[in-house]
Amino acid sequence: MVQIVIKVPREDNTLSEWAMIELQGSLETRHPVALNGRFIGDLHFTKKDVPVLIIGHHILYGKVVTLEKPFAVLVKDSEQRSENEPMETEDENVNKGTSYSVTAIIKKKLLFKTRPKPIIANVPKKL
Amino acid sequence: MDSDNIKVTSSVERTLVEVEAVLEFAKVERKEIKAVTQIVHFSPDLDNDSVRLLELDSDVLDALSQGDKIVIRGDKEDGAVLCTKNKSYDIKGAEISNAMLIMPNLQFGDSLPEDGPAQLHHRQVTSTLHSYYELRQCKPKLKKLKTILEENPYNGWENEEDSEHRGNKYTLNDILNMVQASETEIEVALEKLHAVQIDGFWRVLDFEFLTQVLNHIIQMCEENDWLSTGIPMEECLNTLQELFPRMVLEHIIKMYADKVLTSSNSEEEDEPLTIDIDYYRLNEDKICRFFAELNLREAGKFNLKDFLSVWQKCVPEGMKTGLYQIEGMALVDQNSTPETIMYLNVADLPEEVEERFNFLFRTREKWSLEDITPFISDLATETTDVKALLTKYARASTHNGIKVYNSRKPVT
Repeated sequence: MVQIVIKVPREDNTLSEWAMIELQGSLETRHPVALNGRFIGDLHFTKKDVPVLIIGHHILYGKVVTLEKPFAVLVKDSEQRSENEPMETEDENVNKGTSYSVTAIIKKKLLFKTRPKPIIANVPKKL
Repeated sequence: MDSDNIKVTSSVERTLVEVEAVLEFAKVERKEIKAVTQIVHFSPDLDNDSVRLLELDSDVLDALSQGDKIVIRGDKEDGAVLCTKNKSYDIKGAEISNAMLIMPNLQFGDSLPEDGPAQLHHRQVTSTLHSYYELRQCKPKLKKLKTILEENPYNGWENEEDSEHRGNKYTLNDILNMVQASETEIEVALEKLHAVQIDGFWRVLDFEFLTQVLNHIIQMCEENDWLSTGIPMEECLNTLQELFPRMVLEHIIKMYADKVLTSSNSEEEDEPLTIDIDYYRLNEDKICRFFAELNLREAGKFNLKDFLSVWQKCVPEGMKTGLYQIEGMALVDQNSTPETIMYLNVADLPEEVEERFNFLFRTREKWSLEDITPFISDLATETTDVKALLTKYARASTHNGIKVYNSRKPVT
């Protein structure tokens, strides 16, 4: 059996809070290129705190949702235990050193679940 | 527009002018929105593979914040189980069609100023995910604990060197590596199995060996009138330590006897106790249950009347047997002539709910609530009690004026 330890990497066990944007479907580029570093869109909030996301030619209105059950963001720890352990420990638990760290907790998200509205360019852009 | 206040925190070239143009294009009025615009882009180090989302319930979140150890115990057959110090959870993967963009620095509207000069803040998406893991609290999977401990039951020190009693001994750490349950759940189960730690290894006692030791203890009780006064622990250990290890003796005495509280029962003789002696009085119900098991294990099925008479003769003088003592260990059949009793120990039954019901309905077609309860009560959870289990897995009907339960599905 494999045992994987989940731990909070900080000594005082404090967890930073991250957030998430949830979109219907998935994000695609027109050409199959790596998404790394690419611009997604502009996120505004109305004065009533409604999130407005403009991606390409689409505008999305969303809402702030407090998650009923928060998410932990887990990252697999890369450091593996050294290979030169004493021979007696040889057993099926090859992955004994596997562990995950809780990087953050996500308690709130911006949910954009309505279909994106296209921005109709009926006014020629004056630039 | 005061362009001096534009904050650009990254090298990504997006200017306030562009943002304003898009707003106009989308017919969003500047006065409707807050001054801060968050420019969302993928991180240059976008990583969708080594990041996982795990949905937490409040208990697991508390455990994490308190720095308690949390372990996922994966098993090829049973899937992965997440264990906190005292609870177990099944882990299920959930795929969703929505995209979840993970953002370390996103600000929500309520933390942004109402007005002020327009600003751009750059925000990175570090991962895009379409799946997460859910936790569902589950019963600990403890069957394996019983199985591995029964590979090599303790049978007295003279047999420890036998080839069949060597090896297959497990420390608590070994057990944690093999059994998908939390530490607390394992500790509770070890106690239920009456396991004892011998030289660091957890062992269950061989039933015949247990019988032998217990008979010696009872014999001493009868010889020394300890049935009424209680067993003086030290004296008993000193006398029997030639035959059995002290630790095992002490374990067995504590299994079948309760500590006598010294404050009471000292009036009989006026002598005040001079030394602090621990007395243990044999527990009538536990001793009777033991002798019932001894008889039933050997015979399997018994004529009820014969059994009751043999059983009463086995137990130490003064003890009274009663069927309530053997709940969950025997099954009485009042419908057969003559009435019978058979050995059926809940500890040996399947721990998975559906299998358990299948087994029980294979053993007997129709059960009264009273009869079936001892054989399923260990499956009940905080949210699902015995009645709820029966509603889900059995069908109720009335038979000769008594409500009985039979299987919902064909028994396999």
